[in-house]
Amino acid sequence: MWIERKALAQEIPAVAGIDTRELCELLASLGFPVDGVAAREGSEALDVDITANRGDAMSHRGIAREVAARMGQSLVPLPPPPAPEGAPLLEVRLEATACPVYATAVLELGSGETPESVQAFLRALEATPKKLPAVDASNELLLRYGHPTHAFDADAIRGAVTVRWARSGEDLTTLDGVTRTLATTDLVIADEAGPIALAGVMGGDATKVTAATRRVLLESAWFDPRTVRATARRHSLHTDASHRFGRGADPAMARIARDLLVLRLQTWCQARLLGAWTAGADPQRGTAVVLEASLLARIAGETLDLSQAAEALQRLGCGVVAAVGSLSVLPPTWRHDLNIPEDLAEEVLRLRGYEHIPSALPPLEGPPEHLAPAYLQRQALARRLAQLGFHQTVTYGFISPEADGAFAGPGNPAEGRTLANPLGYEYSVLRGSLLPSLQVSAGQNTRQGARQIRLFELAPTYLSGPDGPREQAALAVVWGGVLGGEDPFSPARSVQEADLAGLARDLGIQDGPAIHRLAEGLFGFEVSLAVLPLPQDRIIPAFRPFSRFPAVERDLSLLVPLGLSHETLRQAMAGVLPADALQDLRCVDVFRHRSLPEGRQAWLMRLRFQADRTLVGAEVDGWMAAALAAAEALGVSLRA
Amino acid sequence: MDQLLPPEIDEAARSFPEALAACGDLNALMRLKGAYVGREASHAARMMDLLKAAPKEHKRELGAQINAYKQQWEEALKGRQTELESAKKAQDALAAGWDPTLPPPVPAAGALHPLNRLMDRLVDVFRPLGFHVEEGPEVETEAHNFDGLNIPDDHPAKASSDTFYLAAHPELLLRTHTSPVQVRTLLRVAPTLTERGGIRFLAPGRVYRKDEIDPTHSPMFHQVEGMLVGHGIGMQHLKGTLEYALRTLFGPHTEIRLRPSYFPFVEPGCEVDVSCPLCGATGCRVCKGSGWVEILGAGLIHPNVLTYAGIDPTVWSGWAFGMGVERMAMMLSQTPDLRLFFENDQRFLKAMGGLD
Repeated sequence: MWIERKALAQEIPAVAGIDTRELCELLASLGFPVDGVAAREGSEALDVDITANRGDAMSHRGIAREVAARMGQSLVPLPPPPAPEGAPLLEVRLEATACPVYATAVLELGSGETPESVQAFLRALEATPKKLPAVDASNELLLRYGHPTHAFDADAIRGAVTVRWARSGEDLTTLDGVTRTLATTDLVIADEAGPIALAGVMGGDATKVTAATRRVLLESAWFDPRTVRATARRHSLHTDASHRFGRGADPAMARIARDLLVLRLQTWCQARLLGAWTAGADPQRGTAVVLEASLLARIAGETLDLSQAAEALQRLGCGVVAAVGSLSVLPPTWRHDLNIPEDLAEEVLRLRGYEHIPSALPPLEGPPEHLAPAYLQRQALARRLAQLGFHQTVTYGFISPEADGAFAGPGNPAEGRTLANPLGYEYSVLRGSLLPSLQVSAGQNTRQGARQIRLFELAPTYLSGPDGPREQAALAVVWGGVLGGEDPFSPARSVQEADLAGLARDLGIQDGPAIHRLAEGLFGFEVSLAVLPLPQDRIIPAFRPFSRFPAVERDLSLLVPLGLSHETLRQAMAGVLPADALQDLRCVDVFRHRSLPEGRQAWLMRLRFQADRTLVGAEVDGWMAAALAAAEALGVSLRA
Repeated sequence: MDQLLPPEIDEAARSFPEALAACGDLNALMRLKGAYVGREASHAARMMDLLKAAPKEHKRELGAQINAYKQQWEEALKGRQTELESAKKAQDALAAGWDPTLPPPVPAAGALHPLNRLMDRLVDVFRPLGFHVEEGPEVETEAHNFDGLNIPDDHPAKASSDTFYLAAHPELLLRTHTSPVQVRTLLRVAPTLTERGGIRFLAPGRVYRKDEIDPTHSPMFHQVEGMLVGHGIGMQHLKGTLEYALRTLFGPHTEIRLRPSYFPFVEPGCEVDVSCPLCGATGCRVCKGSGWVEILGAGLIHPNVLTYAGIDPTVWSGWAFGMGVERMAMMLSQTPDLRLFFENDQRFLKAMGGLD
């Protein structure tokens, strides 16, 4: 909210002597940080941030009250009422407890305009003067004192005024020209023809004050905050009045604001007061809250003198009765946020300044807990992948239904994962797979000229279920582009499926995951973290002996029928070899050429033997012959 | 002294540095070495002859002078020899096929995401104080996201204009903060809180709010929540812990400042400012000249939050804080646009994320 410095000083003159920077610091230390300062109408306006619990501070008087309490100063007293209340000039009926008090007056307007100083005040606060004294005065009062009021054209009102719940089917055209269908939980001001205002939110168009208005009916009431919030939200009608009533206005201000409004109209345009009266009574005040010295000491971090605490609360307007070791505190009518002892402790600390709070480390009362294995697993995976040259990405958890459909499994319908109110269609489904998002990121990097794409993401995927989407922590990796070719020693080649298979193996993924081709030369895989090994305890494992005798390595160059898998061949050969001597058996080179016999490719199989004794040549020759025979049984032949 | 040695020796000494510099290869250097310090017919040999012939009373002084020259020449020759030898080695290597100045094959370097890196760092900072990590789902119930946190049921944050809800499950939403992890954790540990001796944890994670995507807004972002429950916990413990943590993060001279503020789930509540880590609190663009930067919101746990979880607020008390990771990352790195964190350009990730 904008607070104009001169107007603030009119409520608490001591502020005039404080420079702006110091004033901003003071307000911040009270819990009202200043977001900016603007030069306005020959003065300065401060953009003060007021938290949602402090409706009472949403005015110059409200901020002044805080400053006064901190500085130990008094506020400038309000002027006395212009005239005693009299008999009602028309009937005002309060039919809902949501409006316990309704102060009003009827005036006959004379000639005269809104004073220029008031117009400047309104402009400084980004309000537009309407040059209608009744309207401008109401606005000025709201900004200065925080209590919303309203002026009706008294001659447009038919019969008695009732504050009641709207009836089903009723509608009202509000001041903004919008005709609104009312709900039975909307509180309205009505005359005999129907609603004339949405209580605490906005007046009606038919009874508004215009240049032609001769007589005004003033309204200065108190409305239940919840009711006003609900109506403002239902009609998306958030006004200065609804903000203040919605956060809790001061019921004691109803009569005072009415009087201040009357005074203004008398002064500005020679208005004649025909009568002022009040329907209903102030709502019952809350009960006193007891603040124990021990609670205050626990929160403050040190024992505080109760009499000083009492004095601080009194400066904030509280009624305080001291007892042994505690204070019984009745909050002022404008504070709706002081309901429990902790609230009061905060007030004492706030007024003293949080800078006085001591500093201490909390003692450890029990043994520290370990980091969860699932958390450590993700940390370890991220680090390993980053070390291997991959970049961790962060993408949105929601994607378009099309992108989702391409990778989410068939048992995972998007309906169970769809948002009711997405930012847009393209962000409407909680993703069943991370791959679509990585595919997009990969594409962007390719367009930016990246030679190689190495991305991964660790994030939840969602599985539709009867109780809502179930989250599964997942890892997805995409890899594509050209490997090597950036120096004279590493020949360039394209990334292939095999590279991803090798990576998956490095990460400890037991069964090779499905490798998807996401674009030309771009591949990816995704796994649930549940299938990945959890990090082992960081302790040295039991010793397992290894052979110190020399190893023997032999190669076999084979012609293999196309269609025979490496795994079939490997198993057949290994099956006839002694398990305690065979260390490794694998294809280390593939050669395909039209010079080879039709339907054949050449594989160089490498066998490595090692045992707990020195291996003899003849022994190894025998094994090689057996391995070859096993291969030949599969249609493999020795390459000449 | 001069009179002790003939002028041609002094002349040779004067011209030595120039002659040394002129040696372009090891052969030239060997010739120069021979001429100055060789066993025969060198300046050194000649001086030794002079020394032998000199009168006894001059021998000592002359010897010192000769030694000084010899030592100076020998050291300089040795140094130059090392230089020429290593140059020859490099040249030989080039000729043999490996040019050490050629770009070598460098192992690929990847990066952690800067947001993850920052969250990991925060966990590292709090670990020595006995904090562990608690996590919770991103799809949450209204009860965990709002009700358990003392947020009134007509709070504007609950509106569909602010919070994403699931179409098929109207009671489910995407959590709007990491605070529901507080509720879940407190509910879980409540029965064993005494045996545990309270609890202290961090809850880093992703959260969602219905904000349009622009340079300073994102519908998904990250928070780190911190919470501690114990006996007799007050504002001094919040201040002490944050002072320790923020000094570990930003340096030992960092100051912190608590300002009163309001969050429904704490009482008292505060905003925490840190002395600007970029300018050392002298005033810059980031701290808008104030020397302070707002870094997190915190406070003592509201008794209603403890009560909701089944924890007696007259026995237990604690503090909690919540911090926006993107906000902190942008402040520290001066990244101009929030969207960069979700674009995942490898150049950005490599430069910002690193490996730790």
